[in-house]
Amino acid sequence: MSHGILDIETALRLKRFSFRTPNRVRGRKAGIHKSYYKGISPDFMEYKEYNRGDELRQVDWRLYGRHDRLYVRKFEDEVNLNWCILIDRSASMSYGDNENTKLEHAKRLAATLAYLLLKQGDAVGAGSFTEDGLELIPPRPGNTFITPIVEKLESVTPSGGTGFTTPLMKALETFRADAAFVIISDFFTDEEEIEKGLQMLKAAGKNTALFHVLHPDEYEFGFRGSVEFEDMETEEKIIVDTGAVRNTYIKRIREFMDRLRRVCHEYEARYVFSPTSKPIEESLIEIADK
Amino acid sequence: MNFSFLSPYFLIGFAAVALPVIAHLISRKSGMKKQFPAVRFLAASRGDSAARSRLRDLLLLLLRALIVVLVVLVFARPSTFSFVPIGEEGPRTVAVVIDNSFSMEYDGNFEKAKEKALDIIEALPDGSFGLTAPLVGDDNTGPEPTNDTGELKSDVKDIKLSASFTDNEKKLEEIYGALSGAPGTDKEVLFITDLQNNGWRDGYAEKEWLIIIDVSEEAAPSNRAVSALRSELIGDEYKLTARVSNFSESAAEDLLAELRLGGEETKGFFDIAPADSEVRDFVIPQDRITEEGTLTGSAEIKHDRLEIDDVRYLAVSGGEKFSVLIVDGDPREDARLSETYYLSGAVETVSELSGARVSVKDNDSFLKEEPTEYDLIFLANAGDIGPKTSTELENFVKRGGTLVIFPGERIRSSSYNALLGNLLPGEMVSVREGDFGISSEGTGMFPQDVRDKLDGVKVRRFLDIIPAEGSDVLLTLDGGKPFLAARSIGRGSVFLFTTTADASWSDFPITPVFLPVVKTFIDGSGYSNAKIRNFTVGDSVSLDIPSGVRGVEVSDPNGEIFTIDLGNPVLEDTGVPGIYTVNVNGTELYKLAVNVDPRESNLEKISIESTDGEKTEGNMVKVFKEIWRYFLWGALVLFLTESVARAAFS
Repeated sequence: MSHGILDIETALRLKRFSFRTPNRVRGRKAGIHKSYYKGISPDFMEYKEYNRGDELRQVDWRLYGRHDRLYVRKFEDEVNLNWCILIDRSASMSYGDNENTKLEHAKRLAATLAYLLLKQGDAVGAGSFTEDGLELIPPRPGNTFITPIVEKLESVTPSGGTGFTTPLMKALETFRADAAFVIISDFFTDEEEIEKGLQMLKAAGKNTALFHVLHPDEYEFGFRGSVEFEDMETEEKIIVDTGAVRNTYIKRIREFMDRLRRVCHEYEARYVFSPTSKPIEESLIEIADK
Repeated sequence: MNFSFLSPYFLIGFAAVALPVIAHLISRKSGMKKQFPAVRFLAASRGDSAARSRLRDLLLLLLRALIVVLVVLVFARPSTFSFVPIGEEGPRTVAVVIDNSFSMEYDGNFEKAKEKALDIIEALPDGSFGLTAPLVGDDNTGPEPTNDTGELKSDVKDIKLSASFTDNEKKLEEIYGALSGAPGTDKEVLFITDLQNNGWRDGYAEKEWLIIIDVSEEAAPSNRAVSALRSELIGDEYKLTARVSNFSESAAEDLLAELRLGGEETKGFFDIAPADSEVRDFVIPQDRITEEGTLTGSAEIKHDRLEIDDVRYLAVSGGEKFSVLIVDGDPREDARLSETYYLSGAVETVSELSGARVSVKDNDSFLKEEPTEYDLIFLANAGDIGPKTSTELENFVKRGGTLVIFPGERIRSSSYNALLGNLLPGEMVSVREGDFGISSEGTGMFPQDVRDKLDGVKVRRFLDIIPAEGSDVLLTLDGGKPFLAARSIGRGSVFLFTTTADASWSDFPITPVFLPVVKTFIDGSGYSNAKIRNFTVGDSVSLDIPSGVRGVEVSDPNGEIFTIDLGNPVLEDTGVPGIYTVNVNGTELYKLAVNVDPRESNLEKISIESTDGEKTEGNMVKVFKEIWRYFLWGALVLFLTESVARAAFS
């Protein structure tokens, strides 16, 4: 089994971490996420006055001895969760150094996260999206499911422009039940579309995390002299004196990142800045329970 | 100023200007190509700085193109050139004469003349001989011709402005004569001057060997000068009389003049019409004079571009005035027809310099006068001389006075011979007519330049005399008859002209030589010279030294000390205008005032065909002055500027 994009060492270092959603979910199988329903997990949740029909084994007899009234103990139920991991496969994601493009970084991030999620018993579906559409394999639990996920991710090649709303709508059709979305992208698309997509996910009750992948060139702009730049998606060309535009460009890209953070905060999505120069371990820790 | 290139073929290098332009266009067109995801942010950022960036690019392009242009120009050896009249065909023999009269101080003309002279010397063909000489200088012959251009240049640099005045034509002929010993047949004198009219006393006569180079830039230079200053003690007040002349085409209004005498100062304003002068009197009470010894004073006006003549100095002798009496034996209502019209004009002109008091009286008034009150007496056609007057005149001469006699229609020879026989240098015989010139040979009384000009005097009638024993015939007519005879009696002298003081017998009074002859009588009188305290720059001053002194020194206005030979107490070094002090045995004896010649203040130019070195090319040679160094400095400065700008922009 070839797991070239799966960073096993990182996965092993992160195995003590778990990835939970803050909301209760309606899972069918046992897992680590708090269930929408009360269950039989060891975690005590609350006392409830006995009513007819309650199981007698749940009555707390010590409390009855002290107060002369019957109370039953209620426990949490823990279930698994479906995860939808989506990576942006637009042309702009191909930017980067030879083996460290943004897309490769996104693939490693997605594969490693999928591995960890499968290990904790969740069902994971993964896919890629562009402005034109979505390629997705539905979620399934089980460690062995990592292989098709990795194969799917490895087969992703960059093309087209970055889209957000359309592929998300398609993904939501697949993940109608409770699910968590992880979207890995450079988000170089219309900012209103990003906001609309996040709004849609929140309305659907999905927990969402955004991994913002950028190459250092994109936020440090370390170019020199006069350079003719060609947009990787629109093929628009522009000649600039890099020295003259550097400060303004850096200011504008940071404003974009700040706006993205604010939108995520507004729609209760987690924002993780994950540049290609940053180890994926550090990015993943930011969404893990510590 | 003409402009040329000594290596013009290097100008093809201007094509290299295309290099930075092409580099600029290439860099703008392609540069480094790069695929980039965030072009939309770049486009938004570029909008702010695109115009600024273009401006910077253009500035850098301009600097680089200019650097290339300047470097190309350096290699092309840009030069300015002018034409100087030097033979192009081979070695020449030239004298470069620089006008160093003080009028050349105006507007820096003297320095321009020296630069022009250096250019000429630089352009002399190999093997040429030349000499350089100042127009005004003590050495009449100047340096010997040499083919050492370094020496010639050194001589030019040593030439200094002189406050003296000279006769241009005479001096130039002397210098031309100095070329006679040099090799070559074509000899030329290049005279670099301001074309001042007054330098040509008898007008300008064209000479084929003389080339005049005009360095003055103004066609009508303007100058204002204090042209005369004298004082007179009247009662208990000194009257200072100053004449300020306006040698310009515009009026001088409210021209402030400061007059000083004996430590007291007064001021006044002059309003002078163009090309005119104004005489004003100023009074200083005697009791306010604080200076001891010889009174000295000055008059100074606001300085203009010729400063040396803006101040004039005065020394007042110890009270006695040098007095001149002119006896007009034939006065007329129309002064121009009077016997002494020309004579009194000449004496008054000279007296302005000497400070003498001049009186003109008719024959009757003279008979009532006491001759001993005067120092110099001119008798012009004075027909009535009584015994009393003849005795007084004899005493006057014996005491040191000078008597100058002009004959005329009213003089009876017998009466003169009888009454003034003891005084006359010759016995008067009869009046003769003819057409005579004057020979200048045989006398040392007059300077050579005066004697030379006597050749032009024409005499139509003269009084024949038989020279007396012990008398000298100073000037003779053609044929040997006396024109001027002199006789020393006691401490004085008697001079007898054989023609009239007016123009009826000869044109002597209306020739240029008349004034210097009259001046010679005033200056030559030992009796009078003893009291004259005011001189012109370049004068030889006979010092009035009491007997028994051991050492005499004179300090000039610059503080330089001159030791005087007691055997011949004459001060020759009067080249600096100002107050001189005569010290005897270490104690001040008296002071002298030396002033510039007021004629030099008139900067009016003479109309002479001249060259300013640019207008003609015939018989001229181009003198180049390379200026590529300035372009090299410019290129270096631009290179540094470009480096700084590039660093700042990046």
